[in-house]
Amino acid sequence: MNSHKDAIDDLDMAALRQLRELFAHADPVPSDLTERIKFELTVQALHAEVAELMDSALLATRGTKVEPTPTESVTFNAASVSLMVTVNASDLEGRVRVDGYVTTPGATVEAVSTDGSTLVDTDANGRFVLDDLPHGPIHFVIRVDPDDENARPVITPTIQV
Amino acid sequence: MTPAPTAPDGLGTLAGKAFAAYRDGERERLSELVDLVTPVLWNAARSQGANPATCEDAVQTAFLQLVDRAESINEPAAVLGWLVVVVKREVWRLARGARREIGVEEVPEAPTQSLGPEAQAVLSERQSVLWKHVSTLSPRCQELLRVIAFADRPDYAAIAESLGMPVGSIGPTRGRCLQKLRTTLGTDPGWAAT
Repeated sequence: MNSHKDAIDDLDMAALRQLRELFAHADPVPSDLTERIKFELTVQALHAEVAELMDSALLATRGTKVEPTPTESVTFNAASVSLMVTVNASDLEGRVRVDGYVTTPGATVEAVSTDGSTLVDTDANGRFVLDDLPHGPIHFVIRVDPDDENARPVITPTIQV
Repeated sequence: MTPAPTAPDGLGTLAGKAFAAYRDGERERLSELVDLVTPVLWNAARSQGANPATCEDAVQTAFLQLVDRAESINEPAAVLGWLVVVVKREVWRLARGARREIGVEEVPEAPTQSLGPEAQAVLSERQSVLWKHVSTLSPRCQELLRVIAFADRPDYAAIAESLGMPVGSIGPTRGRCLQKLRTTLGTDPGWAAT
């Protein structure tokens, strides 16, 4: 006989494991929930302005040449700045290249991916290149005036590259 | 000399360590905390019977509140229990249309756990048997077992307390809920056979 005053044993643990599998299977955590929570936490931590994703159209490939990866161009708009990024396959095997343009030259752009965060300065024309990013979710944090610590950064929604 | 404890850290301990490190300035440890505890929080939310969108909002709000109040939380080690309490309260507040703030003591009891026809259709044969037996337990026991199933043994007592269960409901002893499940499963030849 066993009673409710006994210590939890292996049979109980097995039943709980099965119960966990049951609910994980029948009512799973939405797959992007943790990413969305992390994004909201970042927005809150940075007191950031969230840019709006304007369009996400596949650019037509020129002529009959078939590219291994479709080129996708995305524009983000915020009150103070806009960011356009074009996503391509990188020359580095299995990596992603992002060519970007920010409407405010001299801004810094931080790309936050599953690898962590990569910071890049834009040139005098507002252009930047990141050629060693992983596939997967990525978002950008733009600082129009990197020297002003009180300025609100702009954060983009997460996109898949 | 007492031998060093060999039991691996439970989820609650890992969560407490990540949160304490976050408070000490390792800001990136917050992501680890989110990854660790979201499954428990999701099940704590869903076990209240609210729809998925409400539950997602409740889990997200709990983390935002945690960060807002990080410095005023007395026991960082108990962060998992703190989050479970907030999630449960948020679900009920959102479900009531946010008409008013409600205190923890006013949180109603969870309903009987339900799975929609689609969810039941994806269960394996063994899971269907388990579900049939779980459904015979009281709503309080169903809620408790569902949530602790996503944590580790050292966390059971603290989670039971944050769900508003009396002390001693579970952990380190089996408690009445787990005993009832064991008894009812034990009477089912279909369960024992597999």
